[in-house]
Amino acid sequence: MSNLTQEQIKVLEQSRQRLVQLTRSLGSLIASLNQSDPLPPWTSLQSQASIISNNLISVSDQLSDQRDLLSNLVAYPGPEYPGRTQANTLEQLLRTKLDPRVEDWVARGRAAGTESTGPSNFSDPDAAYKPLSDAQLAELWEWAPLEANQEARRRNWGGNFTLEEREAGIENVVTGLRRQLEDDDGEEESEGEEEDGEEMDVVGVHRKPGAAEFEYNIAPHHPHPVQPFVPLDLILRYMTTGRMP
Amino acid sequence: MHEQSLFASVPVHQHHELLQQLAGLTAMQPRHCLERRLIFKAYRKPGMAGRIGASQDLQQGDLQRLNKMLNGNMYYTQVVGPVSESDFGSTAPIDRDTQMAGMDDSKPYDSSSPSYDYERQPWKLEFRDIPEAGTRSAVTSRLMSSATLPRGDVVEAMNAWGYHFITEYVVEGDMFVLNDIAIFLHRVLHYPGGDESSLPRRQLPALKDMTLFEKSGSYVLQAFIIVQDGSNQETMKTASQHLFGLREQLKSAVLLEQADRLSLDTRAK
Repeated sequence: MSNLTQEQIKVLEQSRQRLVQLTRSLGSLIASLNQSDPLPPWTSLQSQASIISNNLISVSDQLSDQRDLLSNLVAYPGPEYPGRTQANTLEQLLRTKLDPRVEDWVARGRAAGTESTGPSNFSDPDAAYKPLSDAQLAELWEWAPLEANQEARRRNWGGNFTLEEREAGIENVVTGLRRQLEDDDGEEESEGEEEDGEEMDVVGVHRKPGAAEFEYNIAPHHPHPVQPFVPLDLILRYMTTGRMP
Repeated sequence: MHEQSLFASVPVHQHHELLQQLAGLTAMQPRHCLERRLIFKAYRKPGMAGRIGASQDLQQGDLQRLNKMLNGNMYYTQVVGPVSESDFGSTAPIDRDTQMAGMDDSKPYDSSSPSYDYERQPWKLEFRDIPEAGTRSAVTSRLMSSATLPRGDVVEAMNAWGYHFITEYVVEGDMFVLNDIAIFLHRVLHYPGGDESSLPRRQLPALKDMTLFEKSGSYVLQAFIIVQDGSNQETMKTASQHLFGLREQLKSAVLLEQADRLSLDTRAK
């Protein structure tokens, strides 16, 4: 058994760093669940969860990248190790088998892993092409409108082009339209009212910064517009007093 | 109570689209309503005003208040009764007396055939003051009050209170609710014939025979908030701000505005 090279020590050090980060973020999630009352907002839970998940990914990458080295390493106590005072840690370090509790976790994780990637899909390759069952459809319908709304709210509506399209250059966008679309940033849509005789165009739904709701920009085109003959005042007057205009 | 409202005139060709837009905005299906509205006008009962006798037992303050009530402004007021589409053009139910003579009064009205029974029509008295003048905020704000009346013929009771029947019409429309704002898109229907009857109708003609008050069929959009405590400036302000918010949201579809104060003048001259 040779001594570790500088390189290998660095790898071990890196693994340690990542594990420390993971335990830290797990610890902070647990602490925030235990201590904050009321519970932290779901956005903060969500972001903590994603931090943890990133940490897990980096740990897992590190472990699988250095698999050869790590599986060949053997720990043994050096002569200067304080075996008497640190007996517990020593035992932990010298274990060759996993803790029974940890073994359970590992077994559960493996089972879950084989379930999701494993036989169920392989045995039925057509599963992906089957139409959804009624229950699944119902579930989808329940999920979709909320999700679509969320997605819609995230965007700044208005104008004829998306931000992605604008960044890529609007000349390249294939609109399939004969008329030229202006890139007007969704401000003055309603000015084009008199131009074409379509029915009603919802020409834009946009959200003002800071406002939670949408605004509908409607250009009220109509083939046969009929303006009211009786002004609002007279209608209200009749409704109030019954006097005919 | 105070009612704060904004109005807009909606041409008939825009009605369908606006319904859809409102349904989308409020995330609810429109609630169709039909209402009979009877207009009553207060009149001064002879001998009531300025009566001085028999007032010794009244406190000075009470007396003043009473005099103010008796001699103050007189108002038009409305009696509103919800009706359903099946009430129109239906026949009167079998006379109750006949039914009782047949000894089967335990059975309620024969509900299988649609019938409109004026005697069982629920009514609500709705009073609206003339909108407040010179308010800084650009909404129509007016004092209002409503009270449930006994079912059936209200004319007698109203006469006893010093009101006489002027005319009646039907309001047809759809109701939406957005948070604390009620949105009512409605129009006025006239009874066919147009004869100014001196009493509310006991029978309703078929709905399709009703004529439009506004010949083009345009609608009135009213967005309103009722504030319980009109003296609370804070809630009044919040209510008008909510209405302005709605106006912003709808501004490209319809323009909600303060109504002309005098067109909502309920004072009887």
